[in-house]
Amino acid sequence: MDRLLDIIAKNRNAFLSTLLGILFATFSFIVPHFFSLYNISNMTQYGVEIGLLAFAEAIIIISGGGGIDLSVGSLLSLSAMIIGVLVGRHGFNIWVATAVGLGVAAVGGAFNGILVSIAKIPPLLATLANMYIFSSLALLVSVEPQFGNPMPISKFPPDYFFIGQSTVLGIPFQVLFIFIPSFLILNYLIKSTTFGRYLYATGSNEKAARFSNVPVRKIRFMVYLIGGILVGIAAVIMTSRIASSRPDLGMGYELQAITIAVLGGINIFGGEGEPSGVLLSIGIIVVLYNGLQLAGVNAIWQMGTLGIVLVGSAVGNYFLSRRTMRILISRTKNLKEEDRQG
Amino acid sequence: MGKSIAVRLLRTRQFTVAIVLLILVIIFGVSTKNFLSTSNLKNVLLQVSTISIASIGMTMIIITAGIDVSAGSIVGVVAVIVGKSTLKGIPIPLILLIGIGVGALLGSLNGSIVGFIGVPPIIVTLGTMSFLRAMVYQLLGGRWIGSFPPFPASFRAFGIGEILGIPIPAWIMFTLAGVFAYYLRFRATGRYIYAIGNNPEAARVSGIPVKRVLFSVYTMAGILYGIAAVVVCARTGIVQTNTGAGFELAVIAATVLGGTNILGGEGSVVGSILGALLVAIIKNGMVLMNLPALTEGLVVGSIIIVSVFADILKAGRENHG
Amino acid sequence: MRALFYAENIVKNFGGVKALKSVNIDLREGEIHALVGENGAGKSTLIKIMSGVIQPDSGRLILEDEEIKLSTPRDAHERGIATLYQEPLIYKSLTVIENIFLGNEIKTKAGSIDWRAQQKKAKELFNMLEIDSSFIGEKMGNLSVGLQQLALIAKALNFNAKIFIFDEPTAILTEIEAKRLFNIIEKLRNQGKAILYISHRLEEIFEIADRVTVFRDGNDEGTYRMEEISREKIIELMAGRTLIESIERVKNITKKPILEVENLSTKYYRGVSFLLYGGEILGFSGLIGSGRSEVMQTLFGLIKPESGRILLDGKEVKITSPKVAMDLGIAYLPKDRASEGLFLRLNIRFNISIPLIETLKGKFMKINSLEEESLAKRYMDSLQIKAPSTLTILQNLSGGNQQKVLLGKWLSTNPRILILNEPTRGVDVGVKVEIHREIIKLAENGISIILVSSELPEIVKLCDRVIVMHEGSITGRFDTKEFIVPRNLLNAATGARMIQTQ
Repeated sequence: MDRLLDIIAKNRNAFLSTLLGILFATFSFIVPHFFSLYNISNMTQYGVEIGLLAFAEAIIIISGGGGIDLSVGSLLSLSAMIIGVLVGRHGFNIWVATAVGLGVAAVGGAFNGILVSIAKIPPLLATLANMYIFSSLALLVSVEPQFGNPMPISKFPPDYFFIGQSTVLGIPFQVLFIFIPSFLILNYLIKSTTFGRYLYATGSNEKAARFSNVPVRKIRFMVYLIGGILVGIAAVIMTSRIASSRPDLGMGYELQAITIAVLGGINIFGGEGEPSGVLLSIGIIVVLYNGLQLAGVNAIWQMGTLGIVLVGSAVGNYFLSRRTMRILISRTKNLKEEDRQG
Repeated sequence: MGKSIAVRLLRTRQFTVAIVLLILVIIFGVSTKNFLSTSNLKNVLLQVSTISIASIGMTMIIITAGIDVSAGSIVGVVAVIVGKSTLKGIPIPLILLIGIGVGALLGSLNGSIVGFIGVPPIIVTLGTMSFLRAMVYQLLGGRWIGSFPPFPASFRAFGIGEILGIPIPAWIMFTLAGVFAYYLRFRATGRYIYAIGNNPEAARVSGIPVKRVLFSVYTMAGILYGIAAVVVCARTGIVQTNTGAGFELAVIAATVLGGTNILGGEGSVVGSILGALLVAIIKNGMVLMNLPALTEGLVVGSIIIVSVFADILKAGRENHG
Repeated sequence: MRALFYAENIVKNFGGVKALKSVNIDLREGEIHALVGENGAGKSTLIKIMSGVIQPDSGRLILEDEEIKLSTPRDAHERGIATLYQEPLIYKSLTVIENIFLGNEIKTKAGSIDWRAQQKKAKELFNMLEIDSSFIGEKMGNLSVGLQQLALIAKALNFNAKIFIFDEPTAILTEIEAKRLFNIIEKLRNQGKAILYISHRLEEIFEIADRVTVFRDGNDEGTYRMEEISREKIIELMAGRTLIESIERVKNITKKPILEVENLSTKYYRGVSFLLYGGEILGFSGLIGSGRSEVMQTLFGLIKPESGRILLDGKEVKITSPKVAMDLGIAYLPKDRASEGLFLRLNIRFNISIPLIETLKGKFMKINSLEEESLAKRYMDSLQIKAPSTLTILQNLSGGNQQKVLLGKWLSTNPRILILNEPTRGVDVGVKVEIHREIIKLAENGISIILVSSELPEIVKLCDRVIVMHEGSITGRFDTKEFIVPRNLLNAATGARMIQTQ
């Protein structure tokens, strides 16, 4: 038991895997239909959009310097709205519209990157400001010219729906062909490339990074750009899945995405954390979402539970590390107990 | 070396925000018929009061180099409990106490984890934000309260009543602003908040009870959110699952616009209230000028960027000069 | 004179390291007591014990004939012990007045802070110290370090401190600021305060101290009155007998300089010119803050020169970034390994390969991990870095091994010119010897080395030529071994006049 606690305290992924296992087992026992091949493969699609946003937050937070992005939700709304308006109101080809939507998301991310890395505005403020700006733009774009009011759009062509609504070999298309590749590319980028090295160097010690010929500014810019692209991809998947777009589509996602990233072991101060941890964390939210839904509990509790786990794991880490310290100290101190009496 | 007080005052963000406010008031006053009408000014005060009240708490938290994204969820939980108590016919003074008490309790939950256990504030409050939002849903059971049966008029007075022609929420706002401005300037523990945000190590070494102060800051913020929740509940006359959702970011925006340094150590109650007023007046003026209300976020976001960037340029100049 | 404070037989261990083996010291009212010793002799451990930051394993602290326990900094504070650290502990966006009174507010009857009374008291304190009081309303962060220190002295006076501990206060002060500080310390002595003054600068100690205690390796080597001890004696006590050992080396120095620096100036230093030959070890001596580090950072492209030229192999070069410097074959080991040099939360391999990670890049930006591992392994072996594997996190290594990783990191770039800024700072004696041998070996292999060091023995032992800087200018050049002796270097470092031996 002690050993197990030690491993869990030291290794975030072990902790997350254990938690995921326990949740999975619990739901399999108490919730009927949870443990079926169909359900398991089907439920993965719920993790895709929020998961991509969590990956975006993850690399941004790893880059350090207070890196965080409060604008992912509203950028998602903006990107989705652009796609919707181009297709639904201006009759563009859906793939042209999709490309423009992705491009807008990339530009939005780049704008965050410029504010943070060149204008040196603290990331929390830069992205808070852009949260307002992007959501305002999303509203403006969504205005229906005839009525002069923001309106949702549902006129998407059916050949767009395979992205978010089809399955291949029983696995949702977006999981197999978008999410898993995104994860693999990101994992490759972070673990095996120079970009990854520069990312961790920048996040873990900015000054030493500059002294080591690491392009700190470029990295801080790049993470927001990549973040923006991931947001754009999420926007495409979401509009395809629900076959509509609204100007408030991504509202509130930013804090959820940050929560998932941090629970996945991304150190909020930068320089630490791995995509695999975030993947496990996404797994947890997927199981929670599906399990709670099948058990008839409102979806709001998936985040509620995640909140408890997030704070609980931080508090638990504190007590576990104190326990380890105590053991170490008592081992060395026993010898000197007599000396200390005086 | 020593600069006169006047020069120092001119350099503060509060002063800049006040000037910008004045200019906006003049522009809106000249170009619209109704901006300076009593009813419109009351309206602005009403709009600004809840964000202002909460921003007092946020100001203290950000001065300690913290952040609180659970503000909106705390407002939600308190609003539900207060709303339900009202419908049960609990006397008004007791309801106020309940609002303050629940706010204090939830704030102290944040405060004890941040202060005594030392978990980073963003993580703690992200967690409590999600959890408390689910609590709001649970307490309401997915319905809303306040429309049928409606809250009693004696309770609604906290949101829509007036004393001497000034809305009651504004009275509450001004009173609290006065109390906390005094607290931050003239009480020793108020100054400790700044000390901790400036240099927690120095604060610890000079014997300031850092953990206790952090705990009390989050608790006080909870109380202020609680009061804001009572006002929200009484003013809108309805509580639903998303009451207070997104509120936290609006409060943070008002606070940093008012000159509170997001990195800690600097900030003032007056500044935050000016920041909240700035946002409210922009919203209000744009509506009156028939500008599309949808561009309001565009304006608010741009102001944040410009003002923070100006600060950074100014700081850069002072360092090199 | 009666002793106000005794520390008796103080012992402190950190893990297995004996920081203090049993030291004694006594402080008397109206006396300046100096404490000297090399880095790691145990001075800062004693200061931390006296200011309540850490507790001794055994031994007694006696204040005014009463045994005391200092469990927290607050305890020390309440007992009237004030510690002034080298980097002042300040609240930078609060005013001077506030820095003085925080934690000790003057209050009205109602419990409010009485700002007017505080302002008056602050003025009094400053007048008492004969310091200009016009800046007490300024933000602390806008003041120079020297003024910040003075404000903190005023703060200590405000809570009636009886004992003042100064931890190398002059290390980052200008000469004028240091003089002013000495006046004030003497004033404190005349008011009957007991002062413990820690410094590396012996000349200062002879200037102001009444008695001196010498620490070496966690032992105290005795306390002496200043008039009964000489500077040579103190140095002997500090260093033991093996102060400067000599080291053999096959000199392989080119006739033509490979690097020529002409009249280089920035806001940190002025008119710096020197030559560097292939295979030589050029020392840069001087006190902290003399501009040496900034010259080196300019050569590595971290600071932009305002005027002057840099020539490499006779051709002018513009070193605009570390990348350019590295491409030219220049490597720079920064002095603060924790903040500037290393990524302590990451592993050895990461740290060693990061400067030349671009060269290990294959298709799709993929890093060749086999090559990376062999690179890391090569330097781990050649520098004898003691760690289980190249994947060991740096935080788990000793300071000495961390320093070797830093050296390996820059050696991996195969530099022609290697700039070492305090390469043996905070490492134990054994590692220091190893690093010295490595430096010699590199020079024998034809690499030109610039060695910036605050430790005179190191400079004397290793360098072929030495340049001394003082307050941003070169104040001494020593080109032959017989002139490279501590006395000459110290004279130049204190900036008396230009000394040249060409």
